[in-house]
Amino acid sequence: MPDNLFVGKSVPRTIEADKVTGNAVYIDDLKRPGMLYGKILYSKYAHAKIKNIDTSKAEKLEGVRAVLTGQDIPDARVGFLRDQTVLKKDVVRQFRDEVAAVAAISPEIAEEAVSLIKVEYEKLPAVFDPFEAMKQEAPLVHETDARGRPLKSNILPLPWKFEVGDIEQARKDAAYVAKDTVSTTWVNQCCMGTSGCIAEFDQNNNLTMYDQTNVIFGHIGRITEYFAQIGLAGKKIRVVNPVVGGSFGTKLDTDIYEFIAIQLALKTRKPVKILFDREEEFRALPPRQPAVFNIEQGCDKEGRLTFRNCEAVLDNGAYTSWGATTPSVMIMPMSSLYRVPNVYFKATCVYTNNIYAQAMRGYGNPQATFAVETSMDSLAEEAGIDPAEFRLINRNRSGDETPMKLKITSCGLEECITTVKDRLQWDEKRGKKKGRGMGMASLIHVAGGARVTKSDGHGIMVKVDEYGHVDVIESGTDQGQGSPTVISQIVAEALGVRPEDIFLTFGDTALALWDAGTHASRHTFMAGNAALIACAKAKKQILDMAVELIPKIVKGGFKRKKRKDPEFVEPDLDYGLTANAEDMDIRDRMVFPKKDPDHRYFKIPVAEILRNGLHVGTGESKVVAAEAFYDPPTEMLNREMKGNLSMTYAFGTTGVEVEVDEQTGEVKILKLVSAHDVGKAMNPTLLLGQIYGAAYTGVGYGLTEEIKVQNGRVMNPGFRDYQMLTAMDVVPIEPVVVEPGDEDGPYGAKGVGEPGLVPTAPAIANAVYNAIGVRITDLPITPEKILTALKERK
Amino acid sequence: MIDYDYRKPGNLEEVFNLLREYGPKATLVAGGTDVMVKIKNTKKAPEILISLRGLKELCYIRKNGDYHIGALTTHTMLEKSDLVQEELTALYEGASRIGSVQIRNVATIGGNICNAAPSADTAGPLLVLDAQVLIEGPEGKRRVPITEFFTGTYKTVRKEDEVVTGLQIPVEMEQFGSAYWKQSRRKAMNLPIVGIAVSLRLDNKTISESRIALTVAAPTPIRAYKAEEFLAGKPMDDEVLAEAGRIAASEASPRDSIRGKEWYRRDMIAVFVPRMARLAAERR
Amino acid sequence: MKKVLVSFTLNGDPVTADVPVTWTLLKTLREYFELTGAKEGCGVGECGACTVIMDGQAINSCLCPISEVEGKSVTTIEGIAHKDGSLHPIQKAFLENNGVQCGFCTSGMIMSSKALLDHNPDPTEDDIRKSIAGNFCRCTGYVQIVESVEMAAKEGE
Repeated sequence: MPDNLFVGKSVPRTIEADKVTGNAVYIDDLKRPGMLYGKILYSKYAHAKIKNIDTSKAEKLEGVRAVLTGQDIPDARVGFLRDQTVLKKDVVRQFRDEVAAVAAISPEIAEEAVSLIKVEYEKLPAVFDPFEAMKQEAPLVHETDARGRPLKSNILPLPWKFEVGDIEQARKDAAYVAKDTVSTTWVNQCCMGTSGCIAEFDQNNNLTMYDQTNVIFGHIGRITEYFAQIGLAGKKIRVVNPVVGGSFGTKLDTDIYEFIAIQLALKTRKPVKILFDREEEFRALPPRQPAVFNIEQGCDKEGRLTFRNCEAVLDNGAYTSWGATTPSVMIMPMSSLYRVPNVYFKATCVYTNNIYAQAMRGYGNPQATFAVETSMDSLAEEAGIDPAEFRLINRNRSGDETPMKLKITSCGLEECITTVKDRLQWDEKRGKKKGRGMGMASLIHVAGGARVTKSDGHGIMVKVDEYGHVDVIESGTDQGQGSPTVISQIVAEALGVRPEDIFLTFGDTALALWDAGTHASRHTFMAGNAALIACAKAKKQILDMAVELIPKIVKGGFKRKKRKDPEFVEPDLDYGLTANAEDMDIRDRMVFPKKDPDHRYFKIPVAEILRNGLHVGTGESKVVAAEAFYDPPTEMLNREMKGNLSMTYAFGTTGVEVEVDEQTGEVKILKLVSAHDVGKAMNPTLLLGQIYGAAYTGVGYGLTEEIKVQNGRVMNPGFRDYQMLTAMDVVPIEPVVVEPGDEDGPYGAKGVGEPGLVPTAPAIANAVYNAIGVRITDLPITPEKILTALKERK
Repeated sequence: MIDYDYRKPGNLEEVFNLLREYGPKATLVAGGTDVMVKIKNTKKAPEILISLRGLKELCYIRKNGDYHIGALTTHTMLEKSDLVQEELTALYEGASRIGSVQIRNVATIGGNICNAAPSADTAGPLLVLDAQVLIEGPEGKRRVPITEFFTGTYKTVRKEDEVVTGLQIPVEMEQFGSAYWKQSRRKAMNLPIVGIAVSLRLDNKTISESRIALTVAAPTPIRAYKAEEFLAGKPMDDEVLAEAGRIAASEASPRDSIRGKEWYRRDMIAVFVPRMARLAAERR
Repeated sequence: MKKVLVSFTLNGDPVTADVPVTWTLLKTLREYFELTGAKEGCGVGECGACTVIMDGQAINSCLCPISEVEGKSVTTIEGIAHKDGSLHPIQKAFLENNGVQCGFCTSGMIMSSKALLDHNPDPTEDDIRKSIAGNFCRCTGYVQIVESVEMAAKEGE
C-alpha cells in the first residue's frame, strides 16, 4: 500500500493566494450595479414603548432612496422562537433593537439620514439580571408569545432537562461530594471581517443574497419561511458566499440585519448592502451565551465519579437566537465528559432586557466545560486525589456508551492527559514553587458531524475535464480554516491527481447539493467522506473509460507510426493488463495497469483518456462527473436530550502552568500544552493553525475578554476596551497532535475547529488555584478578582 | 454629514493667521490619532483642520545644554533615539508603549500632551523630568512648567490662538534615573489603567531627591509631592519605598471607570511606585 | 463637500486623487483607486487591517487625511509582488506557513511585516511581535504569522 502523496502532508495554501495579494473579495469589497447602502437606527432605551417615529427629514435628504419603520413592513416574526419582528413597531426590548432602516446612495448619506429620524419613546421598567427576571414581580420582557398568547413569566418554554439514574442515591453512595457555582459572561467573536450582506432581487422577485452565512441552506429555509409571511411564497433564494473574514459562530443564524437588507432591496428594487462598522459589531452582534452553573459532583472512595448534578441559568436577553440552544450542546460535557453514571442537568433560559446571544466557537461547550472541570478539581481535592490522576481514573474509553447515548469509538483521551502531564512535568514540578501553579482540563466535542437538523447530510459534486482539471462543487462554506486546501488534498489523493489540479467552489446554493452547515467542526469529516464517495465514483468512470479506450489509443498511435514509417513493427502487447477496471489505478495524473505501473504504452495521462472519451467523433461521447450525498447513521437528540448525534467524538486536554503576581493579581502563562485527539491530521500545518487560534481565543476567554454590559448597554464597543489579545501578549503554546485514527473519518480524520478552545479557561482557572489557593469561578479571571479573593482569604 | 476644510501651513506664521481667521471653528491636528478618532466617533467635525505636519522644524531631539524636543516629534522618533532611551528613560518607556507601531509612527508628543487625556503616556515621564512646555502665539513665546500645563481633563493652559512648539528638559535630569510603568490589561493597544513614573537622584544609597507622577489617578496627570518629600534623604530600602507607594496612593484621586476600579488603581500605585523607584535607581 | 487634488506615488506610479477633502487615505485607496486590499476593520486605528506603508513607515490609513499624502510614497499590498507577478517572499511565506486563515487581517499584517523587514532584515521574535502588535488577528493566535515573517526574513538573506 503506497504512502499517501498528499493527505497527511502540509500542503501550502497556494489555492488562496488572492488573500496575500489583496485580490480576495470580501463582502466589504463586493459591489453590485446600482447598489445602495443600508444603515440601521437602533433603540435609545433598553425597554420602552415607541410612541412615534418621524422619518420626514430623513426621507427628504438627497440621496436617500428608502426609509422603513415597523409600520412599513409586514409584522412577520422571525428568530428561533419567532419572538421578534424585523423592525420593532410598538416596543423596544433592548438597546440594539432595530427601529428603522435607511437605504441611500452612499453609507455616509445613509448614516446622516438615520441621525435625522426622530423617535419618541416612553420608558418602561427593565430587568437586567436573569435571577431578578425569574421573580414573580419582574417586568415582563415579552407580554405575549409568537402566537399572541399572553405570557406570565420571563422563563422561556424550552425543554432543556436531562436525567439519567438516581442522583439522590448516588449522592448517598458518594464518599466525597463537591459543590461549586461558576459563571461565564458575554464575549464577542471578534471576526476581523464584520457582519454584512447584499440583498438583490431579480425582476421576478427571486432573491440573491451575497452573504457570509455558514449555513447556506438553513439560511434559505429561514428566508423562505419569512417570504411566506410577506407575500413572496414560492420565490427562489440563492445564497452566495464571498470570501469570509472569519465566523466563529456569528454566521449560523439569519440575523435581523439580513432581513432588513431584504426589505430595503424589495422597497428600492436595487441591491442593498448592509455592512456593520466595528462599533455595531460590538453593540449589535449577538455574542457568546453567558451562563451561571450550580454544579455538584460526587465520587466513591476510589475516585470514580458517581454523579453529576447541574442547574444552569442562561441570560437569554430580549430575543432568541442560538444562544438559547447552547444547552443542547452543554449536555455533551455534562453527561459525557468522563465516565459518570448518574447525571442530572437542567438549563433555564430567561428573558431580560440585555443583548441576546448566538453561537460562538464551542457553542455552549466552553461554558459547560468550565463548570465541569472546575468541579472535577474541586472534587479531586475533597477526595485527596491528584487532579490528573482523578481524570485518568474517570476517563472515557473506546467502546463506551455515555448516559447521553453517545457512542465513543476512537478515543485518545488517555494519551492526551498523560502527554500533558509529561510535557508540564506535572508530577515533578506541580505545586513546588510559590506563586506558580499547574492545572488541566479536558474536552469532548462532536467530531463526525452533528445531527442538529433532521438531515446531517453533506453533498459534493466532482467533475473531471479533458485537461485533467477537477472541479469540486462543495456544499459547505469556507471561513478561513483551510477547507479548500484540505478538500483538494483528499480529492487529489482519492482521484490520483495533484492538489493544484483541483478547483473548488464553496458556499453557492445554486451549484451545491445541500449541506447542514459548516459548524460543529464537521466540515472536514463530512466533506471528506462525501468526497471519497464521489471520487470513487468518478475514478470508476475514468477507469471504465480507460479500459475501453486504451487499446484504441495505443493502436491508433501505432497506426500513425506505421504511416510515417512503413518499417515500423507493432509491438505485441498484453492488452489483458488493461481489460478490467479493477486492475487499473490512477496516481499522479496517470492511469496505469496495477501489474505493470510503468508500462511504456499503457501508462497514459488522465487528461488524454478523457479527451479521447469526449471527442469520439461518433455518438457515445462521455464526461466524467459524480456526486455524493453523505448523511451518516447518527441520531437527533430525542425529548430526553439523548441520541448519538455524531459518528465520532473529539477528545483533548489542555494543561497550563501559570505564575501569579500576588501584588498585581496578574496571571502569566508560562506554558500551555494543548493536546488533541484528531483521528488523523489531514494537513499538519493547517491543523496547528486551528489549535493555536482556538487556544489563544480560549486564553482571552479565561483571562481578559468580556463585553461589559451595564443596564443593558454595551460599555466597551471597540477594540480599545474589549481586551482581545495582541501579538505582544505571548502565550507559549505547545500543541500535541494525537492520532489514534478513526474508522469513520476520511483517512481517519476527526473535527478540530472548536476543541482547541473548550478546555483552555478551566485549565487556567485550575492552575491559578494551584498557584495561590484561591479559586476564581467567574470568567474572565482578572487581576481585580484575584486580588479581591486574596484579600478575602486573609 | 462630516465636512471640514483641511489646510497644511508651511510655517508658524501661517498657522497663527488661520487660527486668527477661524478662531474656535478650527482644530489643530498633528498625527491625527486623537483628532481623527474623535471626529469618527462623535460624527462632529470643526470647520477647518489645521495640520501642523508641515512644520518640519518642530521635529527634533537635541541635547544642547538642556534637552530639547520638538512638539512634532513622533513617538517612534523618541523610541528610536538612543539619547532618550539612555538619559530620559521614562520618556522612552512612555512613548514606546503607546498604541502600536502604526500609531507611534504618526502620533506626536505635542499632540499627546495637548490632547491632555488623564492617561497620556508621555505626561507622567515629562512630569518627573521637570519638563517645560514651550508655547508660541501671535503675541510671542512663553514657557510653562509641565506641572502647570494641565488644567483639567482634556484641558490645558494653551490658548486657542497658541501652538505648543516644544519641550525643554533641564540638563540636571541627566543625573536622575527614571522609569515609567503603564499598567494595562494587554501589552499593546491599550490605554493605561494607571500610569506610574518615577525619577530619582541617588547619593550613594540614599535618595537625594525624587519625582513621582501618576496618570489616570486624578482629573489631570499629577505629581505625588508628599511621597516625594517623604523619600528625600531616605535610603533605598523596601520599607521606605513601600511607604512612599502608600503615600502616593493616598495623594491620588482615581475613579471607577470602564478600564479599572478606583481601589485597584490605588493598589497599583502602591505596588509600582516602589518597583519603578528601584528601576530608576538602577539607571542612575 | 470640498474636493482636493492630491498627487503622490502609489505602488511606484505617480497618481493624482480627486476626492473630497474629508476622505482618508483608506477610503481613497478603496473607492477612488479600487485597491481593496487594505480593509476597514474598525475605522479608528485600533485593528491594523488598513495598514499601508507611507514613506517607509507602517501607518493606519483609516486615520490619514488624504491631504497628508501629498508628495509622499505609498505602498499597498497590491504593490509588493514582483513586476512579473511572482510573490514577494513575505506573501509566499504567509501561504506556505499558514499565516493566512480567513485573510482579513492579512493585507495589514504583511504590510506591517514588510515595513519591519525593510528596516530590520534580521529581526528577533520580539521585534516581529512588536511590529504587528497593532494588527489584530482572531484566527491564527499569531504563532504562524510570526513564523511566516521569520521564514521570509531567512529567505531574504
